[in-house]
Amino acid sequence: MTGRILVAMSGGVDSSVAAALLVEQGYDVVGVTMKTFCYSEKAGPSKTCCGLDGIMDAQRVAGTLGIPHYVFDVEEAFTRDVIDDFVEEYANGRTPNPCVRCNSNTKFKDLLARGRVLGCDGIASGHYVRIEHGNGASALFRGADHNKDQSYFLWGLPGDMLPLLRFPLGDLTKSQVRSRAHELGLATADKPESQEICFVPTGDYRDLLEKRLAPTHPALEPGPIVDLDGRVLGQHNGYAGYTIGQRKRLGGGFPEPMFVVAVHADTREVVVGPSGACFSDGVDVGELNWHGAAPGEGREIQVQIRYRAKPVSATVVRCGDPLRLMFAEPQRAVTPGQSAVVYERERLLGGGRILVSV
Amino acid sequence: MKPIYLDYAATTPVREEVRKAMEPLLSDEFGNPSSRHRWGRAATARLEEARERSAAALGVAPPEVLFIRGGTESDNLAILGRAAVWSARGDEPLVVVSAIEHRAVLEAAESVARSGGECVVVGVGRDGALDEDALRTALERQPAVVSMMWVNNEVGLMLPVVEVAEMAHAAGVVFHTDAVQAVGKVPVRLGDTEIDLATVTGHKIYGPKGTGLLVVRRGTEVAPRVFGGGQEQSLRPGTEDVAGAVGMSVAVELATREAEFEAKRLTTLRRQLEESLVAELGSITVHGAEAKRAPHILSIGIPQADQEVMLAGLDLEGIAVSGGSACDSGAVVKSHVLLAMYGDDARGATVRFSLGHGTTADHIHAAAAATVAVVRRAEAAASP
Repeated sequence: MTGRILVAMSGGVDSSVAAALLVEQGYDVVGVTMKTFCYSEKAGPSKTCCGLDGIMDAQRVAGTLGIPHYVFDVEEAFTRDVIDDFVEEYANGRTPNPCVRCNSNTKFKDLLARGRVLGCDGIASGHYVRIEHGNGASALFRGADHNKDQSYFLWGLPGDMLPLLRFPLGDLTKSQVRSRAHELGLATADKPESQEICFVPTGDYRDLLEKRLAPTHPALEPGPIVDLDGRVLGQHNGYAGYTIGQRKRLGGGFPEPMFVVAVHADTREVVVGPSGACFSDGVDVGELNWHGAAPGEGREIQVQIRYRAKPVSATVVRCGDPLRLMFAEPQRAVTPGQSAVVYERERLLGGGRILVSV
Repeated sequence: MKPIYLDYAATTPVREEVRKAMEPLLSDEFGNPSSRHRWGRAATARLEEARERSAAALGVAPPEVLFIRGGTESDNLAILGRAAVWSARGDEPLVVVSAIEHRAVLEAAESVARSGGECVVVGVGRDGALDEDALRTALERQPAVVSMMWVNNEVGLMLPVVEVAEMAHAAGVVFHTDAVQAVGKVPVRLGDTEIDLATVTGHKIYGPKGTGLLVVRRGTEVAPRVFGGGQEQSLRPGTEDVAGAVGMSVAVELATREAEFEAKRLTTLRRQLEESLVAELGSITVHGAEAKRAPHILSIGIPQADQEVMLAGLDLEGIAVSGGSACDSGAVVKSHVLLAMYGDDARGATVRFSLGHGTTADHIHAAAAATVAVVRRAEAAASP
């Protein structure tokens, strides 16, 4: 494919190199940076690539590459699809996955609609993920650099969009990308990785919850910490601060370390238990999305339940929504709200949101 | 395809005559007018010639022309300098502006309000009519200054500044106009009007950026807001930009001389653009359609299109235009001009075409075709 392509440029090194590679491949490249949320007037230390310096950096790189660059304000949609969901999930005692939401909605769907107005035939990004285009069907695979693989975040992409996508970094490692950036003299060559959630640059999301929920919302109010038998062991400062598998230090000397096993929004209880209580045999997954056909009952697949978790073999024991997967071996900290991403070896099949462990 | 510039209301290229007139001032004739030697004397001569040329073009006396650095500074001096006259007397200044002023005027007026004074904003309807009751009431309160722009930069709307200046004078009130978009497009003979203060800038009329002037009619008191040497009657101290003043004066002279011809030519072209867009795209709004408009600006509203995407789409088609007004760092701020005129009806994308010297009928055809193509794609993308 040649023709005009829109590349999502965050101002980080990855999307910078992605844009450069597309230029080399002969595409008519249009760089776009999305302004996703309102940046504070006072610029903090530049920790993420999505802030205002992200826009500036993307502009500089576009200038070096000689491609047009535009900034699109997607704040309204981003707030609705990503931030509101983030807040609501915590309010419901679950642990959200905002990067998945952004990739499923804002980053590609919203961008594609805009790209069409610009006469673009495709959309590209700097994700470390491979895509193969066959006749009529396309499939996503893990990036060649398994340390950087970002396919996990893309399970929510509509299958019919895949033929329009290009991921120029899929076969590269991060260090190859950095050295390409140096060779090309890109301003972003040495820019550090962004680690935190872009709209929570400090990593402390409680501020955001207090702003968007009332400070007196039950999720932020004190409540009981209980053990597996329901005995009250202490008080917590709002269940929104807890996620499954998190270690909880309790005064009073427990024989073994205690971990969060469950968060009950209805009773405001945070349930803790020993490490062993954090393991489950399977998971029910909702809000499913498949890039091709849904895997049938009895099918063996691999599932990844967190971005940094190892994929684990599992069997589909119930199709439909919710889908039930049983793990080949028990998994620690299966967390409602997080993604369960389904692969067949390297190939991304799709996924869904974890509803409950079983 | 060669890109087409239709953003002359944003800025213009420096014309040949201007560049030539400035050249000696940038090399051999570099003197400071405050110096008493021959370089200084030569610089003074050039500066005063520039003042005379500008004054003649605008129909005022040379001492009534003050060279100021750009339109924003000039607008600020008019508003803040008038308010300061009030403050020096121990009075709380009231300033009166229209709702569609440039931000250089609005922000200055709001700063007066923030520092103990008051700012009254007079509404403007979509037909360009001022809220006359509000204006009259405000005039009765003896404001320090009334400021209304001659030609609005976003929509091209023309305010009845000559009449409002007369109303202001009848009430004994000083009147300022931002004439930045008017010079060169409509007749601006300030001497034939009762306008006391007028802002002109060079870069909208093929002069250099950073140049401007404020006309201060005799007897109009303005207090300085910048302090230093005594240059420009102490109202704009600092070593004069002689090259800029000379360039600006040539630009003003040529613009006013050519205004009648250029206005006719641009009006014809703008109407062609307007008519073909309206014929092809039934859903668009022509902003200020019912109002008196300047020749060179056409602003359209496109429902269900995104502002930034429209502009990017047109840019990729090689058509350089603006949105309603400039936005900073990617944040789209709803235009205060369209909000004033249309209230909540101001939705979707706004595209401002502004025509100038280089604009030809071919450009107009190409711009119309490109706009139709991008709008069609936007409509298709909006309805899956």
